[in-house]
Amino acid sequence: MNPELTVVDINKVPIAEGSQQHSLGQKSLQQESEIIEAAKNGNKSAFKQLYDMHIGRVYGLCFRLCADKSLAEDATQEVFIQLWQKLDNFEGNSQFSTWLHSVTSNVTISYIRKQRGWWQKMLNIEQTTAMENEAEASIAETDLEEYIYRLPERARWVFVLHAIEGYRHEEVAKMLDMAVGSSKAHFHRAKVLIQGWIDDE
Amino acid sequence: MNENKQNRFEQSKGQTAKAGAENEANIAQRINDGIKNINLEKQPERDLWRGIEQALQNSDNATSNNKLNGMKPMLAMVASFMVVAVISWASFESGKSMQGDALVAAMSEQHSSQKQSLLISFKDQPAATNNWQQQIDELDEAAQAIKRALKEEPNNSALLRMLKNVYEQQMALIERVHEPSWARI
Repeated sequence: MNPELTVVDINKVPIAEGSQQHSLGQKSLQQESEIIEAAKNGNKSAFKQLYDMHIGRVYGLCFRLCADKSLAEDATQEVFIQLWQKLDNFEGNSQFSTWLHSVTSNVTISYIRKQRGWWQKMLNIEQTTAMENEAEASIAETDLEEYIYRLPERARWVFVLHAIEGYRHEEVAKMLDMAVGSSKAHFHRAKVLIQGWIDDE
Repeated sequence: MNENKQNRFEQSKGQTAKAGAENEANIAQRINDGIKNINLEKQPERDLWRGIEQALQNSDNATSNNKLNGMKPMLAMVASFMVVAVISWASFESGKSMQGDALVAAMSEQHSSQKQSLLISFKDQPAATNNWQQQIDELDEAAQAIKRALKEEPNNSALLRMLKNVYEQQMALIERVHEPSWARI
């Protein structure tokens, strides 16, 4: 499939059962629910409130998936622009943050693929390790983050979605359009690479 | 004597395996601890809301656009696809994938056609910024520098990737200043 034409169906994004969620109190949840309703009705101030409430978590996820500051910033904007258009799809069957993180993962992966473009595929440019994005260590806050940014792209995506975001391999496979076995293999590869880097310290 | 040696060897082997397993467990534990300690929230260094707000504003304005305007990106995409199809066909006909100078020439030619198609499709549309042409020129200079490097190493895939990225940046820039990305969702 041409990644440029990938359309994210927000209705189909999986909900991670074990995903790390905000622990909003009952009152905050009620407030958030009112804000969401207002935003659904076209209230941009309400939408800005949603942005302020969730920007840190959304950008954090985008950043770990992109391993690139500039790309993560663009992807974050794309997430919120799509969110504004698709907010009606949120029916309240899960926590808003859980749904939003699924949307974020899907939109960001789609955005990265789109940015990579289809020239490489069409013109058959050989894939090399240089084409697998690696971030500079200086952007990492912890040792593990540094290693995550060093991982090859797909291994990084799987590691972030499975180990950090808590999605099951079946869900990761669906999001990344790969077989469940491939998701497990990428995760194993990521773990082995990180273990190796820790061992080399 | 030999029996003692054999025992010492087995003992040493056992200790090494045990140490290896312990080390692996420690590393796994470190990874798990590291995951728990990751701060899931990260604040962007620049204000992203302004761009989002602008896109939402444009989204409101776009609802009054006519159908032809809505089809412009599609027309550009079709034109681009035709060029790619021709190059792919030519590549197939030659019996092997393009490489080196031929690939660079094909990429440049394709990009030039794509760029022209886009510029034509957006010629009546106002640009969001004033200095976009200057940015296009800077990217052109970058592409020229990469192409000069490719003359020395025609099959250097890292350079090819850089050239491709520069071309893509140009296309994205043209699209972005004329038509925000939300309109293509």
